[in-house]
Amino acid sequence: MAKKLIQFKNIVKEFDGKLVLKGVNLDIYENEFVTLLGPSGCGKTTLLRILGGFLTQNEGQVLFDGQEISKVPPYKREINTVFQKYALFPHMNVYNNIAFGLKIKKEPKDIIEQKVKRMLKLVNLEDFADKNVTEMSGGQQQRVAIARALVNEPSVLLLDEPLGALDLKLRQEMQHELKRIQQEVGITFIFVTHDQEEALTMSDKIVVMKDGEIQQIGTPTDIYNEPVNEFVANFIGESNIIEGVMPADYKVTFEGRTFDCVDEGFAPNEAVDVVIRPEDLDIVPREQGKLKGVVKSVLFKGVHYETMVETKIGTAITVKMQVSDDRPVYNEAANEKMSANDFYLDVDDVDELDDAIIVARADAQAWNPDEDELISIKEVQYTIEKKNGSYPVTFSTAAGTSVTVNMIVKDENRVTSKENEEEIFAVNFFKKADEIQESIALETDLKTWANASAWSLEDESPVEITDVKYDFDPETITPGIYDVTFATRGYEYKVDTTDKHEVGEEVGLIFQPEDIHIMSRQR
Amino acid sequence: MEKQKHRIGSKIIMGITALFFYLPILYIIVFSFNDSRSLTRFSGFSLRWYEKMFSDSSMMEAVFYTIVIAVLATIISTIVGTLAAIGLSRSRRILRSAVEQVNNLPIMNPEIVTAIGMLMFFSALGVSKGFLTLLLAHIMFCTPYVILSVSPKLRSLDPNLADAALDLGATPAQALTKVIVPQIMPGIVSGALIAFTMSFDDFIISYFVTGNGVNNISILVYTMSKRVNPSINALSTLVIALITVVLIIVNVIPIIREKTKRREQV
Amino acid sequence: MRQFRSMVYPYVIWITIMIVVPMLMILLYAFTTAGNEVTTIRFTLDNFIRFFNDAVFLDVLKRSLVIAVATTVLCVLLGYPIAYVIASGPEKSKMFWILMITLPTWINMLVRTYAWVGILQDDGLLNRLLGLFGLGPFPMMYTTFAVVLGMVYNFIPFMILQIHASLAKMDKSLLEAASDLGANRIQCFLRVTLPLSLPGVLSGITLVFLPAVSSFFIPKLLGGGQYVLIGNVIETQFMTSGDWNFGSAISLIMAVIIMISMYLTRKVDTDPAANGRSE
Repeated sequence: MAKKLIQFKNIVKEFDGKLVLKGVNLDIYENEFVTLLGPSGCGKTTLLRILGGFLTQNEGQVLFDGQEISKVPPYKREINTVFQKYALFPHMNVYNNIAFGLKIKKEPKDIIEQKVKRMLKLVNLEDFADKNVTEMSGGQQQRVAIARALVNEPSVLLLDEPLGALDLKLRQEMQHELKRIQQEVGITFIFVTHDQEEALTMSDKIVVMKDGEIQQIGTPTDIYNEPVNEFVANFIGESNIIEGVMPADYKVTFEGRTFDCVDEGFAPNEAVDVVIRPEDLDIVPREQGKLKGVVKSVLFKGVHYETMVETKIGTAITVKMQVSDDRPVYNEAANEKMSANDFYLDVDDVDELDDAIIVARADAQAWNPDEDELISIKEVQYTIEKKNGSYPVTFSTAAGTSVTVNMIVKDENRVTSKENEEEIFAVNFFKKADEIQESIALETDLKTWANASAWSLEDESPVEITDVKYDFDPETITPGIYDVTFATRGYEYKVDTTDKHEVGEEVGLIFQPEDIHIMSRQR
Repeated sequence: MEKQKHRIGSKIIMGITALFFYLPILYIIVFSFNDSRSLTRFSGFSLRWYEKMFSDSSMMEAVFYTIVIAVLATIISTIVGTLAAIGLSRSRRILRSAVEQVNNLPIMNPEIVTAIGMLMFFSALGVSKGFLTLLLAHIMFCTPYVILSVSPKLRSLDPNLADAALDLGATPAQALTKVIVPQIMPGIVSGALIAFTMSFDDFIISYFVTGNGVNNISILVYTMSKRVNPSINALSTLVIALITVVLIIVNVIPIIREKTKRREQV
Repeated sequence: MRQFRSMVYPYVIWITIMIVVPMLMILLYAFTTAGNEVTTIRFTLDNFIRFFNDAVFLDVLKRSLVIAVATTVLCVLLGYPIAYVIASGPEKSKMFWILMITLPTWINMLVRTYAWVGILQDDGLLNRLLGLFGLGPFPMMYTTFAVVLGMVYNFIPFMILQIHASLAKMDKSLLEAASDLGANRIQCFLRVTLPLSLPGVLSGITLVFLPAVSSFFIPKLLGGGQYVLIGNVIETQFMTSGDWNFGSAISLIMAVIIMISMYLTRKVDTDPAANGRSE
């Protein structure tokens, strides 16, 4: 049984009144490769710096080999650090950088030379002793920094995001290299990173942190397969997280159906989050699926396809688009042309109405037909009430050209979905055929013309409208009335597949009971 | 404990530093209000040296020339320097390094060497020493500083910026005034500021290239300081006040601008 | 991109006329004697021979160098601690002190030098302060002390700003790394901070030595009319004796001395031995 080397006891640290560590307890054993994993600002680097001796905690104890070391200055600790940007001394060559700590300890010259040589070999830099560190590549600097720390034979090596500055390929190489070095020297490595892949490849133990608190401690497999909450599940790998309830042990209900699972110990009918990893889902013919849906998008990811399957559509609203081919008004005296179209308004919009909004909604414009240059609209005349009805509005230019159109006020422009806790809004609208043909980004324009928007019923926060459906060909549209449907995102599952599926294909999804992971719902 | 001792030590060092730097300046200001001629005994408050200064036409002329030369030299050297720096940033490397070398001559040479060079040059041309030679010499030594302060800003500029402007239909002149110049404005402003104070404070070069009664403040202080003359204190106080006001304006304007901008955003 | 390239050409012409030609004229004058016609230029080393054969001039040169070196050394010894204290302070006080150090440099150098005249008199502020402790009065005006003080006062801001810039540029994590590797505070300073701030010290030295060796109004104002440095000799040649050839030769000698000392300083800066495997 390995012995406890480092114990953090209830560490609290604050900067400028902000709690960065909120009472952290953590034991680290001999010869472990421990990774502190979390997003930036989670306190992982602060914890490392407290151990290194560069910061002092406000509360709590740090025990090293059973001894309290909070008051020991960094240069007396048996701990060495590989700094984030390496902090190599630019005025020394590789050899002198590595020899620095030994020279400080006044070790004999021949011993220094021996030890430095051994370190250079360990990090594969034998031929670089006389090189200037500023002329080396990131990966080489990285190795020098590791050698410089290890040559002092510390019992713990701290690594503060040391791979962050390297490119992907070099990073993967260094991951293997670090693991090899750790196994070779057989000391404790404490590694800080925000990269979950790095953590999973190298660690014996992962400590997931968020907002100054430890979320979960475990082996890479534990953390990946049995995340304790939504944060960990999302942070480690990709996952589908669905809201559900546990009617009884080994049973979970989501999407209106009850499935077998392997989890227990929740209160009857407790609300839970259900996690299913994309690689645990399989696409099968629709009739064989436990869940049924439609393929929404397919992305090629190199070794597999990332397929999004929508099992239930979001909140949708359909409006009417009336396409006309009105000719513009022509004022011969001033040589001006002018056009505008009728438009629909919601009752609630009436209060916020001003000239600029009316001009935009009516798409009113005036121009000189010879030079094709826009002329500004000087006057907008209208009266309106907060009641259903049709109200005329007249636009005119300085030269006296004018056009009158109708503003049609109407309520019932929204659809509410209790289940999705969303509301979506859009209005009918008028458009000229050539405007539709000339649109560069038709879906965005349709959203603007219909004034479409959606929001959450919980907190009124905006919800993105991801779907715009219509069944006309914009290139050849003729006057008439068309349906346009706007919808929010529904329930979607990310599935990793080796076969390519077509967008729009109707499919089924299957999974095994042991692929379902249940977490208590976080609030 | 150790840290506290350290802090007290720092405070003492900085206190002495402040005293060393500002005592002479305060001394001048105080003695400009002295009632007597003495530079060492303060015998009472009076404004007589200010009266004397304002009624002394040679002093007032020197102040006038100093300001006029400084303003003209600043404007001209800022424009010339900015255009040259932009041109330089697009030039071939050989030309660029040659110009940079020559540019560094007046900066790296002792001023007195530059000064005698100018003196002999003007006399060889047969130009009589005076306002024109003074102005030309000031433009000569101010411009390199403008280039030096504009060039780093140009180097950090996205090289495609001007191309983008031209691509979007701007003429080269518009690309210059609407895109490049606004981007390097901080460098231009600090270059202009350096040019102004260099010109305003210059003594050595001015001393050698001027003549025919055209003096600036520095030359006046130099020639008058041979005898005790407290009007120099009054003049110096005026210079100190002027420079302080300029520095305050330069430091405060960006803050005010920032504030109004923030208010506009609200 | 060649759009703006042509904007540099007027400036090239301007600096050729205003900078290059005057420099060439100094060379021309230094190697000729008075009374030459353009058509009959005769090159000679007479001016240099005259300078190096005259003990008075050699004394002046020696004194100028000694004073410039003394000023430079004092500026390093006094400026380094000041820069170090500023650089190790919090960000706000850093800004404040940099402004405090910079501000006087914006005020006319003559005015600032003249300010010391009253302070250094026999019955001036400094002697009266010393008198409170029963010391003095010491004669200070018109002494080497006054000249060096005037130079240190005028030129030390350059030193402080240069050293501060190199200290501020230094990555703080280097000190943490040194401390992590077992160096205590003194070792951290000697092995990391000091060597890394050396470029700042060296460029500070150049910025102080250059004006100190050529200065002529500081010795005149604080050293009196009898106090002659090399700058004063050059001034006299041009403003009173009118021997421009000899004056040019002396300035050339001075410029060469400065170039040599700058070259030596730069050599220390880039000397590979300084960052090699030296024990």
